[in-house]
Amino acid sequence: MTMMMLHADLGSQLVNLCSMMLLVTSFAIVAQRRLSACVDLFAVQSVFLAVTAALVAFLTGIHHIYVAAALTILIKAIIIPLILKKVIERLNVQREVAFVINIPPSLLICGALVILAFSVTEPVASLGFLLTKDSLAVALAIVLIGFFTMIARKKAVTQVVGFLMVENGLFLGATAAAYGMPLIVELGVFFDVLVAGLIIGIYTHRLQDAFDSVDVSKLTGSKE
Amino acid sequence: MTAGAALAVLTLAPLLAGLLSLAIRTTRAMAWLQGSLVAVLLVAMGLVVGHVASGNDAVVGHLLRVDALGAFMILMLAIVGGTGLIYALGYMGEEHARGHLGYRRYRLFFCLLNLYLWAMLLAASIDNIALMWIAVEGSTLAAALLVGFERTKAALEAGWNYIILSFIGIALALFGTVLVYYAAERVLGVSMEALSWSALHRVAPTLDPTTLKLAFVFVLIGYGTKAGVAPMHTWLPDAHAEAPTPISAMLSALMLNIALYAVLRLKNIVDQAAGTAFTAPIVIGLGLLSIAIAAVFMLIQRDYKRLFAYSSIEHVGIALVGFGIGGPAGVFGGFFHMLNHALAKSTAFYAAGLVLLRHGHKVTERVTGLLRQDPATGGGMLLAAIALAGMPPFGLFISEVLIVTAAYQHHPWIAAVFLGLLALAFATLLAQVLPMILGEPHGSGQHVGSSTRRFTVSALIVNIVALTSLGFYMPGFLRELFIPMIGLFGADVAVKIP
Repeated sequence: MTMMMLHADLGSQLVNLCSMMLLVTSFAIVAQRRLSACVDLFAVQSVFLAVTAALVAFLTGIHHIYVAAALTILIKAIIIPLILKKVIERLNVQREVAFVINIPPSLLICGALVILAFSVTEPVASLGFLLTKDSLAVALAIVLIGFFTMIARKKAVTQVVGFLMVENGLFLGATAAAYGMPLIVELGVFFDVLVAGLIIGIYTHRLQDAFDSVDVSKLTGSKE
Repeated sequence: MTAGAALAVLTLAPLLAGLLSLAIRTTRAMAWLQGSLVAVLLVAMGLVVGHVASGNDAVVGHLLRVDALGAFMILMLAIVGGTGLIYALGYMGEEHARGHLGYRRYRLFFCLLNLYLWAMLLAASIDNIALMWIAVEGSTLAAALLVGFERTKAALEAGWNYIILSFIGIALALFGTVLVYYAAERVLGVSMEALSWSALHRVAPTLDPTTLKLAFVFVLIGYGTKAGVAPMHTWLPDAHAEAPTPISAMLSALMLNIALYAVLRLKNIVDQAAGTAFTAPIVIGLGLLSIAIAAVFMLIQRDYKRLFAYSSIEHVGIALVGFGIGGPAGVFGGFFHMLNHALAKSTAFYAAGLVLLRHGHKVTERVTGLLRQDPATGGGMLLAAIALAGMPPFGLFISEVLIVTAAYQHHPWIAAVFLGLLALAFATLLAQVLPMILGEPHGSGQHVGSSTRRFTVSALIVNIVALTSLGFYMPGFLRELFIPMIGLFGADVAVKIP
């Protein structure tokens, strides 16, 4: 317990710094024009997430969060980005992200979403442990920005990156605010994310086949 | 003990059957496999329901616990899922016989359908809010592949829309789940117990109301998306229209109810912590909005599968209004409505699938004289439409009357709006369906194989018999389930809306 007290001040600042870095990478993804860079940024975000989780595990002494951190590196920073890169290569659409809403207004909207997230979670955050007071708000902000990316970007791959950002936000919320779900729950969630990634891969493949065989020029215009 | 074993069988048999399906080589062997799965599910369900109806929970280890509400869901899943499997044998068998579907994809379909049922059965029997989320997510993943199964452009687009919207929904539900855990670990500690439904139910009054209210909003929007609650319903009509017809039936009859079940479990806990004054207006409002949107959109549908899809949105709305009003009549009405809607809507889709097999199109206008052309299909669709429109002698009439009376006691204006919308939905549904059933047949269409007819018509008949008898008679075991279910939701609760 004294150990925790000693670390609490520096620790909570470090956790806050790391979760803010997750938020910053979310903005970077929204501001990115190239698809493959979006995927790289997502991998970077996942590394920050793993570091945050490892910090929480160290500060609280709850060891199973280390397992979750390792799985985050393996699945979200390595395997899923590799799958997405393969998809981008096969679809041959790496040139640009297609926008429903352009970058500058997108960034403004995301800024508004962050303010919304902080105001929504304010009454709840006062209950939290000292260690991670703002993390719940940051997590919700990342979730909302992820949703926004799914809606405001047309390409299937960017929608998937948006979905994965949402997952990262949720995971941050569970780890930083609630000290991680029990291990069996986290394993189940990881499994679901992996299967979801595979299914999305299958779908983009089939969508491309179906729309390719009809009209090649339509491919870039529609959802592929 | 036997109930525990039966519950274990219930939650393992579909997984096993799904894996075995992948090794099947003939349609006859598939019929045996799926037929035995249905028999096993029904027997195991009977044992579990019998045990729970006598006043005990069925328990396996720390993870599986079935109370009256869980047993009610399992009852629905086993009966409607059972007829769904039998129907799918006929429907997909016909597609296979016509050469639209290779045997690899034929058996893949049954594998996915079994996994889909498995995930929903788990969701209804797991005593853990987060593991239940994983099971619901699992059913979403299986459904995502099933909706786009026919691989046409329209089916793939519908599947993609379904994936994007339900992933957003399910992610919101997970955020709500995290918030519940966040509130519960203050009381129950950082442990698995802080996620257990039964423990949450026990300590509900001591949980932080503000956190739970926020959690409820996320869970309602999240699972509400999966339940097709307006305004998050936009995936639903496309998915129902483009999915293979047995899947349309399973989506409407089972998945919407499982999503509703998840919302209700949390509503129960939030109501104990924060009072019903918070949840009731939101639930009633979304319910009325769903009925209104469905009633209007039913009028302009040109596709009979889309028509029935919109009708599902309407009925989810009706059940929500019942739960929002609360009290014994409202809660009982809501649950009775869920059960009868599952039976009636799957009957409607079974009949619609037979029409689609015969005529090969989904245009409502070009289908007439079903009753004369094919009495089984036409009669099934007529009875289902009468039930779905809320006319006696069917259970949907009883539940709608109960909900109206419950509403009238406390807030007459809700009863008035509700009745007005019901009348509109009644008119739009029957105006669309009756011309299909009556009159002279319009072209004889394609011949449907005799074994296909045997499977599909028997599924149709079982559903109609169950639906009709529930309108006249309430079996004892069902009453024994309803009493604790109503008790769970506080029978004395009469909501006050300012």
